[in-house]
Amino acid sequence: MAYQLYRNTTLGNSLQESLDELIQSQQITPQLALQVLLQFDNAINSALAPRVRNRVNFRGSLNTYRFCDNVWTFVLNDVEFREVTELIKVDKVKIVACDGKNTGSSTTE
Amino acid sequence: MANSANTNTVPKLYRSVIEDVINDVRDIFLDDGVDEQVLMELKTLWENKLMQSRAVDGFHSEEQQLLLQVQQQHQPQQQHHHHHHHQQAPPQQTVPQQTQTQQVLIPASQQAAAPQVIVPDSKLIQHMNASNMSAAATAATLALPAGVTPVQQILTNSGQLLQVVRAANGAQYIFQPQQSVVLQQQVIPQMQPGGVQAPVIQQVLAPLPGGISPQTGVIIQPQQILFTGNKTQVIPTTVAAPTPAQAQITATGQQPPQAQAAQPQAPLVLQVDGTGDTSSEEDEDEEEDYDDDEEEDKEKDGAEDGQVEEEPLNSEDDVSDEEGQELFDTENVVVCQYDKIHRSKNKWKFHLKDGIMNLNGRDYIFSKAIGDAEW
Repeated sequence: MAYQLYRNTTLGNSLQESLDELIQSQQITPQLALQVLLQFDNAINSALAPRVRNRVNFRGSLNTYRFCDNVWTFVLNDVEFREVTELIKVDKVKIVACDGKNTGSSTTE
Repeated sequence: MANSANTNTVPKLYRSVIEDVINDVRDIFLDDGVDEQVLMELKTLWENKLMQSRAVDGFHSEEQQLLLQVQQQHQPQQQHHHHHHHQQAPPQQTVPQQTQTQQVLIPASQQAAAPQVIVPDSKLIQHMNASNMSAAATAATLALPAGVTPVQQILTNSGQLLQVVRAANGAQYIFQPQQSVVLQQQVIPQMQPGGVQAPVIQQVLAPLPGGISPQTGVIIQPQQILFTGNKTQVIPTTVAAPTPAQAQITATGQQPPQAQAAQPQAPLVLQVDGTGDTSSEEDEDEEEDYDDDEEEDKEKDGAEDGQVEEEPLNSEDDVSDEEGQELFDTENVVVCQYDKIHRSKNKWKFHLKDGIMNLNGRDYIFSKAIGDAEW
């Protein structure tokens, strides 16, 4: 089972919202929606690695850190994300990271 | 130039993920006995939300419109969704109110040329014309009374305006304003995209009662006149129907006869304000009182919030952490996997991979990220 990590992204959230609307109008069942989300997890996990090939560096100050259930959650302040092409500055960023060594258990967000 | 186009790779990646997902779930949909049409709706909804979020640039908007046109031509006239938006459809659908299936007109809403979201507030109706806000986002940004959820107005290609009202009980209603009522002599407030419209109420109400009677006995919210191209139409916005009517109108669109029965019994109640209005009126009064108190307090204290002799309730300013953020409504999030997290004293090093970032409202993706931070 792939990580459910990516459900809280623009892509994942818009999918969930769309599914919710269809459930509201009773065009699909919640069970079906869940299946779709699971399929989405697989698709996004398998799409990311081969299709994306770029690198980002960042630097900032660490505000909080948490490691629970093999998931790291950080909150950084005054961060600069640097890519070759551009520089992105944010005052606050939250980083949620699952174990990258093996996509073992699925983690619900 | 792998990096030169994070902006190019992101839409492509999203597009391919969407395609993969839709194709993979097609079988699941069919196994569940769900029509392919619903699958297409899902896809359309999904893509539109992505476009609306503006997190991704140039997300195939042109392809989208081409697809939509193709879809429209191929769609069979499905009455079971009730709604028809095609250019082929007659300009006016005289579908009696009660026989409308109360289903959300999702395809129409997404295919509308100018999706309009109207969020009825107890006092105020804010009309956002193509403001690129989804219903959910609209609800989040506007303070809505508890029982009110966004009303989605669906502007069809034929110029019809239908409303989807999602009430607190989860049922959704569709109301079709009478096409015949087109007020041209009224003073029409200009609609500004993203602007807030004061409800135009009294002027509109007068000629309408006759035209609105087919509507079930629901409370009519302040009505708005919308610009739809060159036509101006009056859209009665209904929010909370009286309980009997609510019980009757379910999302599956049953019980039309009951709705009909209620219709002659409940005379058209034109309300200027919302159903749950009394409370907000009280709030307003209280707020006004508070403002006066605040002013007095400030004069006394000399703008020092140190000595709090008077009520500490509102003399304390909001320490809103939010204002420090550049974009208060975007929490910048990075969702990824970690290869290695290292710490030495208070120096942390992050080795991350396969991440999706949403920074300052925009989406970025990386295959590797390395970072340093001090705690």
